[in-house]
Amino acid sequence: MTGAPTTSSVTVTPTSVDAMVDVVRDAVATTRPLRIAGAEQWPAAGHPVRATITVRCSALRGISHYTPGDLTLSCGAGTTLAELDEATGANGQWCPLLPWGDDAGTVGATIATATAGPFAERLGRPRQLVLGLEAVDGRAQRISPGGRVVKNVAGFDLTRLFTGSWGTLAILTTLHLRLRARPSVDESWWINDGDAARLHAFARGPHLPLAVHRTDGASKGLDGEGWLVRLGGNRAAVESARETLRGCGTMAPVATEIWDRVRLVDAPSSPALAWPWTPLARRVRAQFDPSGILNPGLLGDPE
Amino acid sequence: MSSLAAALADVVGGAQVLARPATLHVYRSDALPGLRALPSLAVFPATPDELIGVIRVLAAHDAPFVARGAGTGLSGGALADGITLVGLHRMRRILALDPVARTATVEPGVVNATLTRAAAPHGLHYAPDPSSQAACTIGGNIAENAGGPHCLKYGVTLDHVVAATIVLPDGEVVTLDRGDEGGYDLLGAFVGSEGCFGVVVDVTVRLTPDPERIVTLLADFTSVDTAADATSQVVAAGIVPAALELMDAATIGAVESSVYAAGYPRDAAAVLLVEVDGAADGVEADVTHLTALLRDAGARGVRVAHDPADRARLWQGRKKAFGAMGRIAPHLVVQDAVVPRTRLAELLRTIEGIGVRHGVRVCNVFHAGDGNLHPNIPCDTDDPAEAARVHAAMSEIMTACIAAGGSITGEHGVGIDKLGYMDALFTPETLDAMCRLREVFDPGRRANPGKAVPVHACREWHAVPAGRRGVA
Repeated sequence: MTGAPTTSSVTVTPTSVDAMVDVVRDAVATTRPLRIAGAEQWPAAGHPVRATITVRCSALRGISHYTPGDLTLSCGAGTTLAELDEATGANGQWCPLLPWGDDAGTVGATIATATAGPFAERLGRPRQLVLGLEAVDGRAQRISPGGRVVKNVAGFDLTRLFTGSWGTLAILTTLHLRLRARPSVDESWWINDGDAARLHAFARGPHLPLAVHRTDGASKGLDGEGWLVRLGGNRAAVESARETLRGCGTMAPVATEIWDRVRLVDAPSSPALAWPWTPLARRVRAQFDPSGILNPGLLGDPE
Repeated sequence: MSSLAAALADVVGGAQVLARPATLHVYRSDALPGLRALPSLAVFPATPDELIGVIRVLAAHDAPFVARGAGTGLSGGALADGITLVGLHRMRRILALDPVARTATVEPGVVNATLTRAAAPHGLHYAPDPSSQAACTIGGNIAENAGGPHCLKYGVTLDHVVAATIVLPDGEVVTLDRGDEGGYDLLGAFVGSEGCFGVVVDVTVRLTPDPERIVTLLADFTSVDTAADATSQVVAAGIVPAALELMDAATIGAVESSVYAAGYPRDAAAVLLVEVDGAADGVEADVTHLTALLRDAGARGVRVAHDPADRARLWQGRKKAFGAMGRIAPHLVVQDAVVPRTRLAELLRTIEGIGVRHGVRVCNVFHAGDGNLHPNIPCDTDDPAEAARVHAAMSEIMTACIAAGGSITGEHGVGIDKLGYMDALFTPETLDAMCRLREVFDPGRRANPGKAVPVHACREWHAVPAGRRGVA
């Protein structure tokens, strides 16, 4: 999940949380910083990590708990998005993280970087889809805030704090996720030369499209510049949305898979490039990684 | 007048500082019965500058304090035991309302329902709708990460907060956001911190477009089990109701005997109140689907309310259920716990058994769609024997919810009331990490001391100032 290391020479792949605790404890004791990695699918955050050891989370893999009726699921951080999608899809559900990048990426990296995607506005950002987690912080403490239930305000919200902290406060080991039912009807349209004002109104209007995405067609095998629109819901809702959409421009149906391409080629620049190291942010870092051994340098933090 | 009181009076004027016990009595409890504590002082800033000035005076005096909104909290979180209470109800300006960006910036004392009324002319509303919304403040909602029936579809307070200006307990003023453009999610950490991290000076919240169509259904059941199982079936069918509430026979009886009578069938074992909203065509399709699904799931009857007056009547019974229970006994102990939705029926049976065993009457009225139970016990907490029975029953209920993989609070907060359950819910290492997060915001441990996380869990809290150990 992180940029190339400066001088990485060793890679360790802990196969249990206890082993992860040992790795962090050793790193603290020997002051040898760690570069945390999932599937190593993610773009660089813009800064090199000053570390000699790479810790891969890929062995903390698999779904440990899934009750479809509760629409909740727990999995290891190294579980891939593809595995998550396959398991939930079998029950007509999904965890609609659908982040920028591809499905070979891990759940842990998606949450650690809080990487959203083209559907985040409508289906939820990573911060909204994580119910709780388990992690090992920079003091080698095992921490498990939140829980598996969909509503929970017990205790201070370390789940929110660790989500999107780019592995600089704790190494995520398990994620408890909120699932949703997949829409019964799900269709996508390419609108070339559409009416921008109408599409803007449509995106904000009562039909609640899953996405209205302005993009170039060439990188997706389509012509010109235009909008990709995804509609989801019950049949009546989608039909009614489609009728309104017709007034926005010439529509051509496209396969849902086009969004995989969108996620791969239209990713915006990383928010990690401009990390604000405010006094409060420095204090957070000092509390959870006092030795500076977790991804040092990644977020442009001073040496 | 103490030197602290005098210094506070310099900031807000003498009339806005209360120091005599007789005048402080009204602030000795929140909406949780049975717990009372008298503040030593109360101070009421009216502007951001006054609030910041007040917090700086408190910092200069190394004085602990508790921020308070409307006092509608249900966990004892707003109690100030012998320390200064900072009341925010005078800070009630809506600073900006942008119908295009769909945001509003408000002071912490703005009442929840007032914001929705201000947004209404623009076809917008503030989505989090705790049942106390006619009185509770946005600042209090932030402190507790408040929920409400419509959180099922629209999310809790945190999902609607964009940014906030905070005065930290040491008097420093900072702006927090969610980190979507880079940065730790410090706003996510702040919301729900129960007043332990600082005080909101102003907050920018999201406003939600009013749905094109809203339909409310009332399904009645001859068994609580069937009603509880029906909730899972609704959610599993892929319908996302705006709200999905369950009321049991005891609650129905209380409501129907009160001025809030909503026309719920008195002979039902439970009713489900289900609301769907959105674009008109999709909603009508959901209503058809839901009606069939609820009947298949065992509903004896399904009433569909399209008309706003009819819908309001159905909702009145739910929103005023706590008030209706006031007819039964002088106090109402409202509990708040969460269990996995698929275990609702089992937990409701367990709760019934616990009530019978302790000789207390449990009225259930709760957010079934997200498994957020509210087992309420009407009682007289001034009767020590009855109070002990209620406490014992509530403890057993919480233990059962934790054992079922749930949580001790979904929306009311830990406050003082639930501190004792935190060790059962979280590991010592996790509680210690929570203490460390608090240390980031409030290293002096002066903001709402003794709430939310038990102090014994804080491993590095050695140098607690004299006199504050045990309550810190």
